[in-house]
Amino acid sequence: MARKSTVLLLTPGLLLTGAVFLSPFVFLGLTSFWTQRPNSLLIDPAFTLVNYVRIATDSFFLGTLFRTILLGIVTVAICLLLGLPIARWIARRAVRTRGILVVLMVTPMVSGALVQTLGLVNLLSLLGVINGLLKQLGLIDWSIRFLGNEGGVLIGLVQAFLPLMVLPLITTLAKLPEDLEAAARSLGAPAWRVWVTIILPLAMPGILAGSILVFFASVTSFVTPQILGQGKVQTFGTVMYQQSALVNDWPFASALAMAMMLVLGVLLLAVRAVRRGLERRPVIGSAS
Amino acid sequence: MKYGLNGIASLGLCAVMAATSLTPVLAQDFTGQTLVVGVWGGDIERLLRENVIGPLEAETGAKVELLLGGTGDRVAKIYAEKDNPTMDIAFLNIFEAPQALADGVVVAPDPELQIFKDIWPDMNNGCYAMSLAALGIVYNKDAFATPPEWAALWAPELKGKIALPAFPGSEANGILAIAGRLAGADEHDADASFAKLAELKPIPLTYSNLDELLSLVDIGEVAAAPVISGYAIAGMKNYENIGFAFPTDPGPVLTRDMLCLVANSPSPELALLFAEKALGVVNQTAYANELYFGPTNSNVKLDPEISAMLIDSPEEVSTLTQLDWPFLIENRSAWTDRWNAEILVD
Repeated sequence: MARKSTVLLLTPGLLLTGAVFLSPFVFLGLTSFWTQRPNSLLIDPAFTLVNYVRIATDSFFLGTLFRTILLGIVTVAICLLLGLPIARWIARRAVRTRGILVVLMVTPMVSGALVQTLGLVNLLSLLGVINGLLKQLGLIDWSIRFLGNEGGVLIGLVQAFLPLMVLPLITTLAKLPEDLEAAARSLGAPAWRVWVTIILPLAMPGILAGSILVFFASVTSFVTPQILGQGKVQTFGTVMYQQSALVNDWPFASALAMAMMLVLGVLLLAVRAVRRGLERRPVIGSAS
Repeated sequence: MKYGLNGIASLGLCAVMAATSLTPVLAQDFTGQTLVVGVWGGDIERLLRENVIGPLEAETGAKVELLLGGTGDRVAKIYAEKDNPTMDIAFLNIFEAPQALADGVVVAPDPELQIFKDIWPDMNNGCYAMSLAALGIVYNKDAFATPPEWAALWAPELKGKIALPAFPGSEANGILAIAGRLAGADEHDADASFAKLAELKPIPLTYSNLDELLSLVDIGEVAAAPVISGYAIAGMKNYENIGFAFPTDPGPVLTRDMLCLVANSPSPELALLFAEKALGVVNQTAYANELYFGPTNSNVKLDPEISAMLIDSPEEVSTLTQLDWPFLIENRSAWTDRWNAEILVD
């Protein structure tokens, strides 16, 4: 009886998920095995692997995939570097104002990627605030190109996804017993050693969670690389847009999306294996 | 008496006829129907609302819903909905319209209709020709003493200061074809075209926002860029240091907005009424005076001052560079990859 009621309770949600997520996903997968008819924008629904062969054999798409993953990894590294001190400070020092600080961290995310990115355009573009200021101060005659390159896109990705790193880190670091650090320091461990041997290993669950969130958000992002890359930085997201909205080759764009999901799935499995490996390690401060 | 009754009847009939002739002509009552039109936003939307949608809604009782966006959105929608379209009219580009007709997603222009006859001959390729423009050069007046020819963009001192549009599109395909011609070939020789265009690298900006581009040209951060005439002439009024040139060797590339009636659309009669007003003298005159898009309707009479700034006659069209759009469409996907790899990468 209990099982029947559970099924009944789950049914609306499952139906909705099937309708709005699974069925488009199945159609996406199906479309990726179709192709465009020659000299036409119409789709030929005959099964073919031609789109996948094109992705696997064209160095441009493989290069774009590599660049997208590299951008994701660098974004994770920068977010980690910036996020750890911020999270630790919020977790340890800002006990009373933690709630407010967390809200401040999350607020930009609520406004959406577009608004944040356009804000960065105002700041970093050739006619932006920073270039204007540098010109006013007489430090430059011609604007510095902050946008239209990987550096500009990285700034945008870090700005957009830093909260995804900080939030799980705060949760993890807030749970760490302060005694462990105090004990290490009392035994003469310098600050860097406390970080390397105590804080980082114990914060690993938060680091992994934040890294996964930031990495997947970065490699699948479209708005930030499209706007801050100014058409010059190609990522898998921008190439998918180009193929679907500009070239109108929906089957190939679908194949690109499926290829990206395949790569992300493999990466997710690899991360899972790493996580399991970490869980098997003896933990500092445990009874063993 | 008999004569008197006939007279009264005749008078009554005359009175009814006179009364009905004074009321606005209701072509047909479309109350409750909604016409869906896919078109660009901004000034084009504004002029269509003023000159077409307002009067059409008043006369027919119908509602007009605009789906604003780029042509890519509209092409995707009319192809995806081929068997059950929800859009009645789609505004497309010169190169998309013939392809859409060949694929059966739009209705062929009807030579028997007055709107077809009013448009200059040989312009209704695939759909009804809505407006004329040409790809010319927006330039910084300090960088060029006189309006430049295409070849001037390749001057060594301007390397890295020529902005380009996004590919694919009529602007990007246009400048690629011009590069091919300057290399002694044409758009059919992709290798020559890409090699010549790549000489402009590094590209400082792939523009998608005209205001941003014009601001950069105005202060000299960008020396020049290929831009479609109507947008450029309308936009440059706000800047002091910008000029616009129609080059002559080769001539500017012909571009054209097309009004397409979607095949099997829900409201074909209403769509035709919309097309009559959009292609009519009032709207096309407003397009010319405010947007600097040349009229295709041969009945439009423009002030000589405005006319001088536009492409507005078959004679002028014959001086423009016309591209083999079906060939460009056929190669669009492969050339997009080449553009990404050979033009965008510094």
